[in-house]
Amino acid sequence: MATIKTLFNKCQILKSKTPLLSTFIQQNGMSQYPTYYINPIYKKDALEALIKSGEDQNLKHIPTRAALNNQTCSTAHDDLVNLFVNYVMKDGLKPLARDLVAQSFESVKRLQLEKYHKCQSEEEKAKIELNPKTIFYTAINNCKPILHLTPIKRGGVRYQVPVPLTDKKSEFLSMKWLIAAAKEKDSTVRFHLQLARELIDAANNTGRVIKRKQDLHRQCEANRAYAHYRWS
Amino acid sequence: MLKTVFNVIKTKHIQTNQGLQCLGPFTTQACKFSNTSQLCHSEKQTHEEKQNISKAMKAYLDRAREHDEFMNEQNQEYQLGKRHLANMMGESPETFTQHDVDNAIEYLFPSGLFEKKARPMMKPPEEVFPQRKAAEFDETGRPHHFLFYTGKASFYQVLHDTVQHIVDLNRFEDAMIRKGMRPDKDQKINLSGYQWIDKDSLEAKLVETIGDKDYESFVQAFERLCSLPYSYKVKDFIMEYRKPLMSQTKAHDAPKPQYDENGRAFVTTYECLRKSARGDVTIRSPGTGKISINGEDITYFDLLQCREQVIFPLLFTNMINKVDIEANVEGGGSSGQAGAIRWGIAWGLRSFLDQETIEKMRLAGLLTRDYRTRERKKPGQQGARRKFTWKKR
Repeated sequence: MATIKTLFNKCQILKSKTPLLSTFIQQNGMSQYPTYYINPIYKKDALEALIKSGEDQNLKHIPTRAALNNQTCSTAHDDLVNLFVNYVMKDGLKPLARDLVAQSFESVKRLQLEKYHKCQSEEEKAKIELNPKTIFYTAINNCKPILHLTPIKRGGVRYQVPVPLTDKKSEFLSMKWLIAAAKEKDSTVRFHLQLARELIDAANNTGRVIKRKQDLHRQCEANRAYAHYRWS
Repeated sequence: MLKTVFNVIKTKHIQTNQGLQCLGPFTTQACKFSNTSQLCHSEKQTHEEKQNISKAMKAYLDRAREHDEFMNEQNQEYQLGKRHLANMMGESPETFTQHDVDNAIEYLFPSGLFEKKARPMMKPPEEVFPQRKAAEFDETGRPHHFLFYTGKASFYQVLHDTVQHIVDLNRFEDAMIRKGMRPDKDQKINLSGYQWIDKDSLEAKLVETIGDKDYESFVQAFERLCSLPYSYKVKDFIMEYRKPLMSQTKAHDAPKPQYDENGRAFVTTYECLRKSARGDVTIRSPGTGKISINGEDITYFDLLQCREQVIFPLLFTNMINKVDIEANVEGGGSSGQAGAIRWGIAWGLRSFLDQETIEKMRLAGLLTRDYRTRERKKPGQQGARRKFTWKKR
């Protein structure tokens, strides 16, 4: 036994020649997937476009992550609506949130149809948008702020400094404001109905959310003298 | 025999004899230690002739001799052990191969240890003990390699070569521009099916230990070389340091469908797992789009999202009314069960689809097993990430 020990001390033993699987898999934080995994391309038209451009050849050897359980290739599926559902969601009650958004889309459709049938002339009828999803998209687009105020401390004084927003952040703010506006209602009015009204208003560039956006922009305009504190 | 067996049981040790980690000569592939015995002999002769051999060389020769003796001894022990093992297993020692040795060890010392490296093994000593470099300096102690004093001569030689190639290619590009020529687009290097060799392989190739930063700079230098328009001229040099990735769809072949008494083809996928749900999915073709989950239809799932998940692979491949699905699933919640069935359907559908659609399914993330599970709660915290409320006073 002693000879074995001395031999071990004398000569070190190297790792085996074939590297283990664990050496291939780089750790990616708490993620189950290694860093080189790509996100799934689960939409059919996106995949077609990829194949047409010939870029799928580059992805041939790169493994994909599994599609999430709220992603499908169905035509009813929409990423932005999904995101909105997640923002509406409270305490992880996804089915409820999904229901609420679907109901409010239905209400949008009902309200718009009501308006449509009340119209007298064809010209007025043509102006009314009946697709709730288009209304939803235009509403979110209209509510997006460009600037916001952020407190920056200079010489012991906090200045409200106007700062440009990224697209993602402004999208988030617009959705957040829409939901907040829909929640600000009488207890007799249902959330989905109020949300529908807010969406239609915002799509027409009127209403409380648009006003909120304009207020913010006005404040930014008033504080433009502080803008240089962003970099100095 | 047992001694031999345990002798070669591998454990991870830190390299101790750093003195022997000398540098590769002019080639990147370093010489092995085995040729040192000849060197030893010649040294002995010269030793008698002149006494001015350097101390470093002397120490090196001693270590080399020691190493050779040790390897000889190990080799003899290994051969003897192999013969004993062959006799124990009742086979001829002459025809006993390494494969038989591995089988015998697995049979005689069954081990349930998860880490394969920790299991008992008996390998030839050349595989167990690391390869080492031959002397990098002459009798007077003067190193052969101009990068000897960097400590990692082979590694820096590789970087040096890369930069030399970059400079050469830039010069070549200038010359071509002057002639009004453009790089050949057909010959453009395609690196999509390959990746850089990992750090361990690079270390084994160079017989040197390198750090993470070093490896990073290795990758950076090579990527810069690859980005040059004329990089195809040094393709052989680049390809030395790349290894092929396996083709993803070829990696798992679809099983051939079986036929039932009605002549319908069917494929059963067992072990469809997601979170803690597990189940099996049978796909029958041709069918009318019937879906039965635990004896019920798709209304087995109350949630819309789960129903969408179940038909996702069918929708994606336009098979929605062409096959029948039977699924048995248990354990977990509804979303986990739906995920398990989704994977089972996608996996089974491969038998009825062409290679192109399978590749599309792979890109859509339908063929990847979703291994994500709930993150565990940590002690001293409220949940996986959330901490208890804490006030200083």
